[in-house]
Amino acid sequence: MFLQFLFISSAVLTVSCALGVLMVKNIMHSCVFLLGSLMGIAGLYATLGADFVAITQIMVYVGGVVILMLFAVMLTGGNDFVSRAQNLLGLPASMGNKWTYAIGLLVGVVFLLTNIQLIRGLTKALPVKTITNEFPSTVTQIGHLLVKDHVLAFEMSSVLLLGALVGAAIIARPRKQN
Amino acid sequence: MIPAQFDALMPIVIFMGLAILLFFGGHYLSVVLAPKKPSHLKSTPYECGELPVGSAWSMFNVRFYVVGLIFIIFDVESVLMFPVASIFRELNDMGQGGYALIIFLSFISVLIEGIAYCWKKGDLDWVKSFQHSHKKENK
Amino acid sequence: MNQTVVSYLSQYEFYDFLLALFRSNQGVLAFTLYLLLALIIVGMCATIGGLGTYAERKISADLQARIGPNRVGPYGLLQMLADGVKMMTKEDIMPFTADKKLFYLAPLLCLTGVFATLAVLPFSSGFIMADLNVGIFYLVAISSLVGLGVFLGGYASNSKWSMLGGMRGASQIISYEIPVTISILAIVLLAGGMGFGTIVGRQGGLPHEWFMFHNPFAFIAFFVYSVGALAETNRAPFDLPEAESELVSGYHTEYTGMRFGFFALAEYIEVFVVCGVAASLFLGGYNVPGIKLDILPMQAAQFVIFMTKTLVLYYVVIWIRWTLPRLRVDQLMSVCWKYLTPIAIFNLMGCAIWMVVFNGKSIAELVLGSH
Repeated sequence: MFLQFLFISSAVLTVSCALGVLMVKNIMHSCVFLLGSLMGIAGLYATLGADFVAITQIMVYVGGVVILMLFAVMLTGGNDFVSRAQNLLGLPASMGNKWTYAIGLLVGVVFLLTNIQLIRGLTKALPVKTITNEFPSTVTQIGHLLVKDHVLAFEMSSVLLLGALVGAAIIARPRKQN
Repeated sequence: MIPAQFDALMPIVIFMGLAILLFFGGHYLSVVLAPKKPSHLKSTPYECGELPVGSAWSMFNVRFYVVGLIFIIFDVESVLMFPVASIFRELNDMGQGGYALIIFLSFISVLIEGIAYCWKKGDLDWVKSFQHSHKKENK
Repeated sequence: MNQTVVSYLSQYEFYDFLLALFRSNQGVLAFTLYLLLALIIVGMCATIGGLGTYAERKISADLQARIGPNRVGPYGLLQMLADGVKMMTKEDIMPFTADKKLFYLAPLLCLTGVFATLAVLPFSSGFIMADLNVGIFYLVAISSLVGLGVFLGGYASNSKWSMLGGMRGASQIISYEIPVTISILAIVLLAGGMGFGTIVGRQGGLPHEWFMFHNPFAFIAFFVYSVGALAETNRAPFDLPEAESELVSGYHTEYTGMRFGFFALAEYIEVFVVCGVAASLFLGGYNVPGIKLDILPMQAAQFVIFMTKTLVLYYVVIWIRWTLPRLRVDQLMSVCWKYLTPIAIFNLMGCAIWMVVFNGKSIAELVLGSH
């Protein structure tokens, strides 16, 4: 019962805040709705039992990316943060026009049909698993995998982070005044 | 009945709920108890006695953004190090300590190079030093 | 598996009695127990927050050779109630140019971030509300919500003091998260796990069994963690975002009455949590020196030991505030990125090398021989 409550509240939070990101005119409010959406996703990870991934989501996305976005918005400045662009129906421009919804509907239909075909093939072969009470922590599993099977990916991720750091530092440096 | 591994989520949700309850409860208490005499002068932002000119939402310096970027890189790095650090002792007891040490140290050393680069190029300075901009001009 | 308070209490007979009372509905019983204990913890921490204001004024008075509050109640002890009542009865003013929704939201974010960290604090070996396997990692992640609250509070007020205070506060909090996290990583290395039960269980009661004296790198890591955590809670000498002489009141300039009370409460409880974490990670936590029984009064003794260590650290935090001058903003940033982060990384590497070379033994174990 508690799991259902957690799942439903996380899912409602995620979807409603995602809609809020699109429908709000003020960009700062948009960022805060994004924060809510990412917290909802962390809740969804928690209902799946992926504790490490949920907390990584909070630490990196909520504690880092959202703050970075807020800083970036403050960097652009301006008197207020309200966007006045509108589409044909008078809604904010981020809600899209008729082509957005047409293509979205098409993609949705194709996606749905593909998924139905895939799932029909899978459900025949799945045995019914019960959740055992002795649930080992995901952290030690991830640790063992990172050190044994995916060592190269682990080391390459550090090189990737170095590249990101150098690139970001170069982009954010002030240009030489000629 | 809750599966055992989700037992621990309940106190977290309860504490968050208590925070929200406390917030709204305190807010309601102050609505009941506090006076409400709005005036134009009270609602202007405080600026030590002067009338404020212009909005506060102006463009900010790029150094806040650079600090945020460097923070994110190191944040992701420390998150990636957490699982390896958790099993380090176990691996050491199994006799694979040297192997784990090499992996761990090579991961960190790549990021040490990153912070050294930022330090040398002056991205970590809050105020760009006079020497630094002087050097750039002379080039 | 995650241990919780309820799974600990289920060992005792009165749990079965309660279970029969609730007609064998384990979920509802668990919820009620959690709610009761959460209310107790929140009440205790709110009291400590209030006592923190009183203690701050008394200790600062002591350091400045004056008396401090002594009118309201015996020795001025009821001063905190008077302060609370004052905050509730002040008018709630909002600047008319402010961003209303975010103005409302900012104290809530701070408060949620701090309260959610109370769920994993190890008060005693049975009384950890939720002994998550990722305990300390969860604590660091959730306390980054406070940084968001600071930024939004500063932004929403639309006052130049608040905006500057909010931006500086947010960048200070995110910068100091790095040395704090890396110091915690060194301890996770030594303990072999992230959960608080694992970390505190690996230490002992006597000082030579604490992680602080495990190896010289952990000793330095304790000081790096203390400095970093002081800066994360916006506490002097790192209180530039809320400095009185510089930015009027920084990010909470425009907040009045109960909203300001929430910011202050969140700050005092956060200091308590940070001291509790330092006590658990570095100073042996709730371990009672010498005795190792498993009876119920043992829990009370462990709780007392934990609170003693935490409150001693709290006293040191207050002491530091009234002794050292404030850092300038560029000094603040350079202390973090140019001093604390390289030292923390050096500590981490040193701890890892120590673990492999000496097979995870502490200095005391090497010198005295393990027993």
